Amino acid sequence: MYPGVWTTYILILFFSWLLVLSVFGCTPGTAWTVVNLFHFAITYHFFHWKKGTPFADDQGMYNGLTWWEQMDNGKQLTRNRKFLIVVPVVLYLIALHTTDYQQPMLFLNTLAVGVLVVAKLPNMHKVRIFGINAEN
Amino acid sequence: MVRLPYTTALTTLFSYGLLFAFGQLRDFFRKFVDWFKAKNVKGYAPICLGLEDFYVRRLYLRIQDCFGRPIASAPDSWFDVVERISNDNNKTLQRTSHTTRCLNLGSYNYLGFAAADEYCTPRAIESLKKYSASTCSVRVDGGTTKLHAELEELVARFVGKPAAILFGMGYVTNSAIIPCLIGKGGLIISDSLNHNSIVNGARGSGATVRVFQHNSPAHLEEVLREQIAGGQPRTHRPWKKIIVIVEGIYSMEGELCKLPEIIAVCKKYKAYTYLDEAHSIGAVGQSGRGVCELLGVDPADVDIMMGTFTKSFGSCGGYIAASKDIIQHLKHTCPAHLYATSMSPPAVQQVISAIKVILGEDGSNRGAQKLARIRENSNFFRSELKKMGFEVLGDNDSPVMPIMLYNPAKIPAFSRECLRQKVAVVTVAFPATPLLLARARICISASHTKEDLVTALDVISRVGDLVGIKYFPAEPPKIAEVGHNKLE
Repeated sequence: MYPGVWTTYILILFFSWLLVLSVFGCTPGTAWTVVNLFHFAITYHFFHWKKGTPFADDQGMYNGLTWWEQMDNGKQLTRNRKFLIVVPVVLYLIALHTTDYQQPMLFLNTLAVGVLVVAKLPNMHKVRIFGINAEN
Repeated sequence: MVRLPYTTALTTLFSYGLLFAFGQLRDFFRKFVDWFKAKNVKGYAPICLGLEDFYVRRLYLRIQDCFGRPIASAPDSWFDVVERISNDNNKTLQRTSHTTRCLNLGSYNYLGFAAADEYCTPRAIESLKKYSASTCSVRVDGGTTKLHAELEELVARFVGKPAAILFGMGYVTNSAIIPCLIGKGGLIISDSLNHNSIVNGARGSGATVRVFQHNSPAHLEEVLREQIAGGQPRTHRPWKKIIVIVEGIYSMEGELCKLPEIIAVCKKYKAYTYLDEAHSIGAVGQSGRGVCELLGVDPADVDIMMGTFTKSFGSCGGYIAASKDIIQHLKHTCPAHLYATSMSPPAVQQVISAIKVILGEDGSNRGAQKLARIRENSNFFRSELKKMGFEVLGDNDSPVMPIMLYNPAKIPAFSRECLRQKVAVVTVAFPATPLLLARARICISASHTKEDLVTALDVISRVGDLVGIKYFPAEPPKIAEVGHNKLE
């Protein structure tokens, strides 16, 4: 609906990679892994943990739904959702490629992308495993 | 799809993202700081959960000194704005006793009736002495005075319909009338940018509501065809009635409605039309009769015409003008007529005097002068702003002109800097407008003189340069053509 949202997302990821590289002075691969892990933490928290809306006007109609579940009014597999599933996978591939598939990074990156992609699958709509995060 | 330049969209999204990130960070730390504070109501549910008022707490409150500024005089072309100070970073504001005399570009004072007027004010004071400040009664009990009956006839004559009915509040006029006109089994098709009062009335009526793209008669026709063919939801029976609701001037865009085309579409499919002229009655048209006169539509073609007295007539309240049967039905069913206090008599007298001035029945031509002045002022201001390179929305002849700001940081920058230079503007952001399309809305009045407008243009141009909102290239100033005469 608003132009430039996807581009802003990709640009934020790219610029945060540059920031990590300049602040920590590490190898590009480690920087991509750091970006991937922060991306995992932040998007997991905002898309799949926080529930409800930042406005009080709708009187708590969506208080049981995470932001991922509210997207596009609950319709599955729209263009936005497909794009947001692809981004963690692409980040994962870039991180693995630049670290040459070495061990601690490989495990962490795979864990991150596994959790993110599974959480975004259409079958997980409104599913709360073991009742975690089920209260309003 | 929201249209704006691509780089502006990127920077605006980035700004909102940054504001959101900082808000979340502050909330995160606030949770730790408040962990140790004792909670004094145990066992009760919290009044609001932390996330619900996030937008208000972390975005709106940061710039709340730009909204809701109290004023200390009548909202004429120049007025006194009360200064406020904040000791805790805008979380709370305290009024001081200082006022600043500012140029008023925000009040809906289209014809200049907001301040004392030589014809209207003595008569309003006289009616205050004679009928007192309130009728203290509903219209059907003891609240209908001679003034109310006179105004209803006058409004009907002014607008060009057989009869009219008055209400004490403009918002209530829409939200209480629409449920009386249509109910379950009916269809309301309303413009996507309609005012909240219409949305409220439509939701309260129980009818099915569909929206058509803003000001697009082609899309309206598409929606009509689809809905008439489909019928009511689930049963697919034919609709009991269909009402199409549009506004005369849309207050956030300054655009005129494409009335002739929309009326043609509605006639073709036998749908009723409801025209909300809150901003256009009295302000546009050759003799101030609104968009019907401006666009050449016969008032008999619009089934129900609604308007308010707040904007061009300097009073408060609203009216509905329609055929005698509809008004009779409304007088028997509308709760705003049966149970709400009637309009205050001095307010009614103010409208009567204002309409008489506009029609020229007060014996002078001040009405015609005011109408000509507001038209000239609006067109002059709009063309000058466009020449300077601002992005101004709205059609010619419309006294409402929004200047696009887009970026959330430019809202307080523009508003505060203009106030510092003694020009008071109204800025609007989400949720009244789409997220990326924040704007400053200028309302031109007939009481603005040419010097006022030139001062305002000067200030806005300087502030616009500082804030960076001249999104279009400015027209270069015309060089005086001295050489040409010599060739003669």
